[in-house]
This record gives sequence, structure tokens and C-alpha cells, in this order.
Amino acid sequence: MSDDDRSLPGAALPDDDLDGHTMDELAEYLDRGRDPRDPDIESSAACRLALSNMQRLRELSLDAMQRRADTDPDPERETAWIDGLLDTIKAELTSGRDVPVSHPDPRLRLTLTEAAVRNLVRRAGDTTGGVVTGRCTLTGDVSTPGAPITVDITAAIAYGQSADETADRLRHRVADVLARHTELVIEQIDVRFDDVYVP
Amino acid sequence: MSDDDPLGRAEDSTLVVRAADGDVPAFAVLARRHGPLMRVYAEQMLGSNVESDDVVQEAFLTGWRRLSDLESPARFRPWMMQIVTRKAIDRLRRRRHHDDVDELDRPADPTQNPERIVEARLQLDAMWAALDRLPADQRRCWLLRETAGYSYQEISEALELPVTTVRGLLARARQYLSREMEAWR
Repeated sequence: MSDDDRSLPGAALPDDDLDGHTMDELAEYLDRGRDPRDPDIESSAACRLALSNMQRLRELSLDAMQRRADTDPDPERETAWIDGLLDTIKAELTSGRDVPVSHPDPRLRLTLTEAAVRNLVRRAGDTTGGVVTGRCTLTGDVSTPGAPITVDITAAIAYGQSADETADRLRHRVADVLARHTELVIEQIDVRFDDVYVP
Repeated sequence: MSDDDPLGRAEDSTLVVRAADGDVPAFAVLARRHGPLMRVYAEQMLGSNVESDDVVQEAFLTGWRRLSDLESPARFRPWMMQIVTRKAIDRLRRRRHHDDVDELDRPADPTQNPERIVEARLQLDAMWAALDRLPADQRRCWLLRETAGYSYQEISEALELPVTTVRGLLARARQYLSREMEAWR
């Protein structure tokens, strides 16, 4: 690179070495995923070089920021805003329906929130082994004691695990935890694996 | 977070549906995983690391409230990137009229010491340094175009600049970055 190049940092890019195409045009072509293919651009070595440079700079921009983020010298700052965020979120949580729990003293009315029950299901799933729980839905009238409830669970399964066997273990584990902590009558537990993770 | 916490290894898509279900720890994992990049990005957009923390926090809060709108949970990162972009633009608009207008047309300083950059251990550090040296408006245009995928028209509206100016700023940013990164080809 010559010093002359550096003395003109603001000069417009000379487009005439792009076989009649402009950088703008090439940038838009790149944004369209080079589709439909423009034979005139693709047959020009200068354009192809410009395109690959543009593509590279685009990838480098994000990667450079990611690297910067990964090597951030101030982890305390990350912690500070995330803590603030989580506090706000927790204050906004909705608890859902009330799930009654009986008590020997009839004057006492105990309830678990639906959110707490779903939390139980998630924790049960996560401690099954080979599973990360996803969505959990309770279908049925959870507010009425004795009403039949269906639990729908989506989950990610660890790579290499048998789906049948893992689903069985998950169902048993969830049924067990719900029986121990709630009085819900669980009619059915449906499990759907919608993701695989590498443990 | 302990290494044996399965949440820490779960895919974004799993964490997203779970967070949409009201699971705060799942969202905390997402925030820790993607927050640092978003903060660096916001910092580059705003040219300020005081405001970037606020912007990222606001953006994640918006993300949390709108998780159910995210149709494809695996696209969490680009989706958050768009939210951060919009929050950063809002900030820029609010302070638009009383600062950094003067640097609109300032060309980026060429590397003072090219050898140092050439010697830099990693290409990404060189790219970071180059991005960092771009004048604020060139950098914003570049990031909106290349990272957020905005059209010239959208950038023009976001930054309240004529499309022709956006075009010029982008051309200069591209030219500067290409030149700075030439040694790495």
C-alpha cells in the first residue's frame, strides 16, 4: 500500500475497475445472496474479488465484536446490568392460576401457583438426566381438586440417548414429583422432544 | 453457574420456549450468553459505554416481554440484535441535535502504526481496532447495514440523514475497512 492511498481516505471508491459495476450494486447483490445469479458480475474477476472482500468484512465485523465481548476485561459490568434485568423481570412474573392444596385445618386455604407447579415440572425434568425441559403446559381445571390434568412437556434430549427410554424416565420423574408436592390428579403426561443437545 | 447445570449447555431454542413459559433462570442464561456481544454492539453504535448498559438492559427487558412473538426460537440472537438496534437508534435520535454532528464528514484516521496492526496476533483484533477508529456516523451506518441488515432507506430514516449521505458514509467506511484489513487477506 502506498502513502498516496492513505492520503485520500475520504475519496470515492474508483468504481471503474469493477468492470462497469459499482460497489453499491455489488453490496445489494451480496445482500440478495447472489441470487438470481448475475452472469455479468460473476464473470468479472474484479467483481468477484470485491464481493468476497465485502463478505469477509461483514463476517469480521460481527466476529470482531464477539471476540471483544468474549475477552471483556470487566465481567462485573455484565453482572450489574444482568442482575438489574433479572430483578425487574422477577417483579413482573405472572403466577397463573391457583392450584389448591388441602390442609388438615379446614380454616386454612393453601394454594400453589400454577407457575410454581410448572417450575416443579421443569426442575424435575432437568434432574432426570439427559433432558433439558422446554415448555410445560397444564391442561385441565387445576383449580378444582380432583379434576383430571394433562401435562404437556417439550424437552431437548441429550445426543445419543434413546428417546423412548428417556421419555419414560422423564414421565416417571415428573409424576413422582407432582404426586409428592401437589394433589393434582395427573391423567396423562405427554413428552415431545423438539431438540437435541450435546452434553 | 456450575458446569453441570444442564441449562448452561441447552440450545437457545430450548431456553427461549422455557423463558417464554416464565422461567427466569433460562432467560438469565440467554442474557449471559448473548448480552456481552449486544453490549459491545450497542457501545459501537452509540460511541458510549455509559448508555450501552442501559440500552442492552432495556432491550433484554423488551425481549423478555415479547418472547411469545418470536416465531423461531432458534433465531433469538438476530432477533435481540434487532431490538438492541432499535433501542440504540432511539437514543441516538434523542441526542442527535446537540453532538457529534461535526464529525459527519470526518475521514477515519488511518492506522498510526501499521506495523503494530500487522503484528497483531489476531485478525479480529485488527478488525476491532479498525471499527473503533471509524468516525461515529460511518460506524453506525456500517453496523446498521452489515450487522443489522438495514437497507439504505432504513438507515436514512433511523439516523435522520439523506440517503445520499448514507451511501457516501457507507462507501467510505467500506473503503477504510478494506484498506485496513488488506494485510490480512
